[in-house]
Amino acid sequence: MLIALDDVSKQYPNGTEALRDIDLRIDAGEFVFIVGSSGAGKSTLNRLLIREELPSSGSVVIDGTDVVRMKRSQVPFLRRKIGVVFQDFKLLPNKTVAENVAFALIVTDHPARAVREETERALALVNLTQRRTHFPRELSGGEQQRTAIARALVNRPRILIADEPTGNLDPVTTWEIIKLLIRVRELGTTLLISTHNAEIVNALRQRVLHLDHGAIVRDERQGRYAA
Amino acid sequence: MRRIGYVVAAAWQGFWRNPVMSVASTLTVAVMLLLFAFFVMTDRGLQAAVGILESKVELVVYLEDDAKPTDVLELRRRIENDPAVEAVAYISKEQALERLKEIARRRPELALEDVTTNPLPNSLEVKLASAQETRRVSGMLREEVGKGVIYDLVDNPTVVDKLLTITRVLSIGGLAVLGMMLFVALFVIVNTIRIAVHARRDEIEIMKLVGATDWFVRWPFIVEGMLVGVFGAIVALAAIAAVAGPVASSLVGFLDIVPVSLGPNFIAQLAAGLIGFALLVGGAGATFSVRTHLAK
Ligand SMILES: Nc1ncnc2c1ncn2[C@@H]1O[C@H](COP(=O)(O)OP(=O)(O)OP(=O)(O)O)[C@@H](O)[C@H]1O
Ligand SMILES: [Mg+2]
Repeated sequence: MLIALDDVSKQYPNGTEALRDIDLRIDAGEFVFIVGSSGAGKSTLNRLLIREELPSSGSVVIDGTDVVRMKRSQVPFLRRKIGVVFQDFKLLPNKTVAENVAFALIVTDHPARAVREETERALALVNLTQRRTHFPRELSGGEQQRTAIARALVNRPRILIADEPTGNLDPVTTWEIIKLLIRVRELGTTLLISTHNAEIVNALRQRVLHLDHGAIVRDERQGRYAA
Repeated sequence: MRRIGYVVAAAWQGFWRNPVMSVASTLTVAVMLLLFAFFVMTDRGLQAAVGILESKVELVVYLEDDAKPTDVLELRRRIENDPAVEAVAYISKEQALERLKEIARRRPELALEDVTTNPLPNSLEVKLASAQETRRVSGMLREEVGKGVIYDLVDNPTVVDKLLTITRVLSIGGLAVLGMMLFVALFVIVNTIRIAVHARRDEIEIMKLVGATDWFVRWPFIVEGMLVGVFGAIVALAAIAAVAGPVASSLVGFLDIVPVSLGPNFIAQLAAGLIGFALLVGGAGATFSVRTHLAK
């Protein structure tokens, strides 16, 4: 069991109940779509996994570690196991594609040689080697998205969380990204993808987790976007 | 090792990212250190002067260089005949210099400056039977100052008292001013680092999300604060080096204690002290800033 949530609820300080009584088990190597209307709690669930937020009650265990009770000093090591692709990319505008990707390795204290080699590997994986010296503003939306994916993957995390990875992309680019994610999954990474894109979910027929008002209302092995 | 390289490079970049702010805080630190150095040096100088004067002699009569020996003998006899006087000793210029050299040998923080021309006068040292009589005897002798034989008169208890008062006032006032400057310097450093943190907030957010440790995020800022401190110390030391000579000689003139100055030993201690103090202030200010602005 890679991810285990038991009886998890999350209430934000302003009183919003974002998640209610979530029980969830995800095995290593799974491909999981998280669907649900806007405000259903998808991003909140992701934030609990990397301990950007703490649950109000319940337990979150990742790779055998109790995320809720873990020491603050251990949080960085949890996060190194989980790559995150953010909806707004969060690329640094004054760094090139290669520098943005290398950044994740440098700040986690990898030696220079590893930084160079792993950065090249990640760039090759997302097919951005040609764009390595470009700045984010010089890239298309899909290229920025792939840069964000490369950065999320560069330190070989066990889990990849992608929040709306195809948000503003045209259909062709969307499929490029999805093909890339399938390749990542084949390399052994567990994928959690939050999306509003019914077409993709319906085409891939993977596990679908449907959130509604903070509760899991559907969890299907080979699910579709809507029941 | 690679971590040290990264931290120093990031701190250096941070320092120059907002040069106006960094230079302003560097100068603030430099001013604070200059004040600090000034008070330490003055205090040491005054203490040395007190030490020199605290010899047993109670009244010193400085003689004109061209006073006639017979006049000096006559003066000496008159003083000896006063019932309040216990003993009178004649100290020549050469003896006085020898004594000064001896004192300097015993006090490592003092060094004799070039003494090829002996500026010390001949003198009569008067030991009194009772300290209460000091005032009367010195009053009597003071009337003769400038009349050919006596060139000046120093009654030691009064001078020592005055010096001690000056030292006390200086150290209390100095501490107060220094305290204020320290506060200002810390305030400026805290703000410089706050602005540096703010300028890099996006980078910091990503660093944390991809798993950088708190200390990995903090160190560059702390070192940036230390850079501000070290640059401030360098500026202060350069300023001290530029004005040390003239100030020392005017200080010596002001104190009227001939060729005594602060030795090289003391200068090295002062430089090390300033740099250490600057590192501490810069590092502490930055740590405080980072802890308050990087929390969570
Ligand atoms: N920091 C916050 N403070 C208070 N309430 C929040 C916060 N973040 C999210 N919420 C609320 O929690 C609920 C769930 O939000 P969340 O962002 O998890 O939804 P989502 O499923 O990701 O939506 P979307 O598809 O629009 O991204 C919403 O009602 C939202 O308003
Ligand atoms: Mg969301």
